[in-house]
Amino acid sequence: MSNTDKASNSGAGSRELDPILLEVLVCPVCHGPLSYDRARHELISKQAGLAFPIREGIPVMLVDEARQLDPDE
Amino acid sequence: MTAHVPQLIDKLAHRRHRERAAAGFGNVNFLKQAAADRLADRLEIVKRHFPLVLDLGAHHGEMTKAALASGKVDRVICADPALGMARYTAADIPSCVVDYDNMMFGEATFDAIMSAFSLHWVNDLPGMLARMRQWLKPDGLLLLSMAGGVSFSGLRSCLAEAESQTAGGLSPRVLPMADIRDLGGLLGRAGFGLPVADSDTLSITWPDPFHMMRELRQMGETNALLGRANHMTRKDTMMQAIKLYQDRFQTDDQRISAEIELITLTAWSPSPDQPKPLKPGSAEVHLGDFLNSDQDNQQD
Repeated sequence: MSNTDKASNSGAGSRELDPILLEVLVCPVCHGPLSYDRARHELISKQAGLAFPIREGIPVMLVDEARQLDPDE
Repeated sequence: MTAHVPQLIDKLAHRRHRERAAAGFGNVNFLKQAAADRLADRLEIVKRHFPLVLDLGAHHGEMTKAALASGKVDRVICADPALGMARYTAADIPSCVVDYDNMMFGEATFDAIMSAFSLHWVNDLPGMLARMRQWLKPDGLLLLSMAGGVSFSGLRSCLAEAESQTAGGLSPRVLPMADIRDLGGLLGRAGFGLPVADSDTLSITWPDPFHMMRELRQMGETNALLGRANHMTRKDTMMQAIKLYQDRFQTDDQRISAEIELITLTAWSPSPDQPKPLKPGSAEVHLGDFLNSDQDNQQD
């Protein structure tokens, strides 16, 4: 996807996950807590077995964009 | 719960329209800005401070910017159905992508929730209000502005008329929007207190109906109704609609105009120390006595 000038000016590309999002967000499926997988850029809901992607520091809390966790994960 | 709610809006299509509109939204955000200005005015007169605020349907963060400028707000979290929109919020604003129909924030999290020119794209508004009430702390402020039922009614009728004339049938084209009286009632039913609703109508002009429809598309406000025709509008239908529109809504300076109703709502999540109406029968002075004494005074 091509970044327009405006997006790069606002520093969207370099954005880090703001820790306050971990305090306010819950799993949209089971409403349980989420844990942050820093290496994979994901928010993990163990209970629902879903990993929500974090793109450019922005958690995407959409069920149809989430990855199904393997049972041993 | 959502299974019983009639689904009018194709969420995926709406998200797609918003994603497509994201890059250019800054050039056509005047309705968003108008809604944000109204909510900022409401915030201005509230004698309170709000440490943590949610901006739902944030687009590029126009409302967030206005709220932070008011000095009444410490931190704002932006949430939008489209990642493209969220990428345009300022880098220091925490942002996330959400599905309006989900419960994705913890209970009693925010001191205020605001939403400017977005929530007309929600399938289940009563459910949305109920969730927002849960996300608010007690005595938290709800600030909403959305397009009301008067908006684009001229476009709706011209498209309907043109379609029935040329295609011999009707398909849904312009989103049904909420009525201000209904919204006041919905706030009460969702458990909000002290609701205030008002509406005002903006008259916007464009060079011609093509420009108007193109700009709506650039705002991501195009038809995302579930029952919409799944093909391009027939050319003769579109030309007929444009002709009808031009005939009926031409301004003196040869432009066309459309009315957009902005409904502004404020309400508070309940708290024990909020002002409440007294119980019926609990008055210590008889109303009749009061009225009689007033009459006596007038006779004197």
